[in-house]
Amino acid sequence: MKLIKDKVAKLSFVALLVTVTAAMFYAPTASAHGEKSQAAFMRMRTIHWFDLNWSKDTVAVNDTMTISGKFHVFAGWPETVDKPEISFLNIGIPGPVFIRQGSWIGGQLVPRSVTLELGETYEFKVLLKARRPGDWHVHTMMNVKGGGPIIGPGKWVTVTGTMGSFTNPVTTLLGDTINLETYNLSNTYFWHAFWYGLGLVWVGYWARKPIFVPRHIAMEAGKADSLITAGDRKVALGFAVGTIAIVAFGMSSTNAAYPVTTPLQAGLLRGMKPIELPARTVNVKVEDATYRVPGRAMQMTLTITNNGDSAVRLGEFNTAGVRFLDPKVHTDETGYPDDLLAEEGLSVSDNSPIAPGTSRTVQVTASDAAWEVYRLADLIYDPDSRFAGLLFFFDEAGNRQMVMVDAPLIPTFI
Amino acid sequence: MSASQSAVRSRAEAVKVSRTFDWLILFTLFFVVLGGYHIHYMLTGGDWDFWTDWKDRRLWVTVAPIVSITFPAAVQACLWWRYRLPFGAVVCILGLLLGEWINRYMNFWGWTYFPVNFCFPSNLMPGAIVLDVVLMLTNSMTITAVIGGMAYGLLFYPGNWPIMAPLHVPVEYNGMMMTLADLQGYHYVRTGTPEYIRMVEKGTLRTFGKDVAPVSAFFSAFVSILIYFLWHFFGKWFAGTGFVQSS
Ligand SMILES: [Cu+2]
Repeated sequence: MKLIKDKVAKLSFVALLVTVTAAMFYAPTASAHGEKSQAAFMRMRTIHWFDLNWSKDTVAVNDTMTISGKFHVFAGWPETVDKPEISFLNIGIPGPVFIRQGSWIGGQLVPRSVTLELGETYEFKVLLKARRPGDWHVHTMMNVKGGGPIIGPGKWVTVTGTMGSFTNPVTTLLGDTINLETYNLSNTYFWHAFWYGLGLVWVGYWARKPIFVPRHIAMEAGKADSLITAGDRKVALGFAVGTIAIVAFGMSSTNAAYPVTTPLQAGLLRGMKPIELPARTVNVKVEDATYRVPGRAMQMTLTITNNGDSAVRLGEFNTAGVRFLDPKVHTDETGYPDDLLAEEGLSVSDNSPIAPGTSRTVQVTASDAAWEVYRLADLIYDPDSRFAGLLFFFDEAGNRQMVMVDAPLIPTFI
Repeated sequence: MSASQSAVRSRAEAVKVSRTFDWLILFTLFFVVLGGYHIHYMLTGGDWDFWTDWKDRRLWVTVAPIVSITFPAAVQACLWWRYRLPFGAVVCILGLLLGEWINRYMNFWGWTYFPVNFCFPSNLMPGAIVLDVVLMLTNSMTITAVIGGMAYGLLFYPGNWPIMAPLHVPVEYNGMMMTLADLQGYHYVRTGTPEYIRMVEKGTLRTFGKDVAPVSAFFSAFVSILIYFLWHFFGKWFAGTGFVQSS
């Protein structure tokens, strides 16, 4: 007997472990910082985020902030990633520490997935309402079906206050204002508790008398029919009829209380409006590009042709959200995240203004620890070792022009 | 002591031991089923059960009963044919729902802060009670599969509607109409669950107009019947004593 008891006890313990494991098995991931582990070519050759602005560094619970900017959908989208035909403008935060009150592409609300066109540039904005206090890394993010999440630059934002004071008022089409944070909660608990209780009563009814041993003995003795009495049958019938009656009653009383309901809304949004960019007057040809591994520097030989009517200078190279600036031409005043900003990271062998109608070949070096820190240098291990990025030229009046570059990259190890 | 001797000396002692046995077995059964069934249901029902903005009138209604009738069918096979105990399905659902609630409350809400009104589990109890009663009253696997399986599929949607209906009230949001459930999915950011992986309102049941839920429920009920047979056999085989060496 003791042996069996021990065995059962042991088995119960195993069962308990299995249970705990099962409960732990799934939690919606609260990941941030996926940015660095994402393949470099994914970040350099898919969505280019620029002109980003996080409206606040600190925000109180219930207050809002926006992340706005533009993204360019790279025309040389890699073969290994599905085209952004079904994409979703997301936000990279560790769970719902903010709620997303709105998100727009080209002025159109995008609560659902959208189709993006290669080679186009779009304006976007995400409106966030602070919910949970803490320091959060807030990333721009685009999910692409078949391509996974494409995570953009992140900035630390501090949320102050207490989560208990968070409210989420929403006015329905029937004119009621509800707090979506707690709406329907007691109703949910009520019905679940009710049905769970009924289930317990059903098992309790059968477990009120010894069950396994005597029933097993009776079964072995061929007296199976004696185990269910006429009373049992009546009780069981009551349970079944009661269950169906309660479901029917619940259904009809719910329909009476909520006469207007609509199905879930889904479907792809097409026709996102891209930004009309001015005609491009600066042409860039990449003669060659190398990445010097020990120096954490990328060097490009560019032939720049100015077909416009104002002299231009190269001010910025932007790839995978890392910005290399030539401070003599352009400085950042938007509070861009430090770790992604190389304020003096761009040097040009001759960065005097390129006069209209002329052409010049220059050596451009983009160097910063960010190559290492953001693991962009890893792109030399990618299946298609190319780099891509945005070059920003500035004319005498301060007008900016964006030029895409896309070329093979050769690593040098000495 | 040798195997031929009795382990107990009196009837009272026998009853006591038998009772201890009951609780040990019931406890073990409950948690073993909880663990196995919970993992099974999360892998097959998954997001449809996790989020209100997946609980639509087409796919959720179809998928949830089909993937959840499995363990109840198997455990019924064991408890009924070996002990004439008609609570196999309900015990499964009690275990599953306890596990689900622990997971939703501790992980989804406690750990990641998704509001419980957005990530509560589906209610599977009404179908389970009817399934147990049908097996008990008919003592027939075939009738239980057909009548019970059918009821299990059909009771799912109305059994959940009192909880879901308030979330299907429409709102106008920046020029678009959506339900409160859609809005929950939009507001409470899920970084790893982009909108496009949501499988709702898909399918070809367009000719039925707006009354698609009953059609989906009937379809689900038919498949539930087949799955019931399959898992009832699994349960019978699993509850057999063929693997135990006879003395
Ligand atoms: Cu981060």
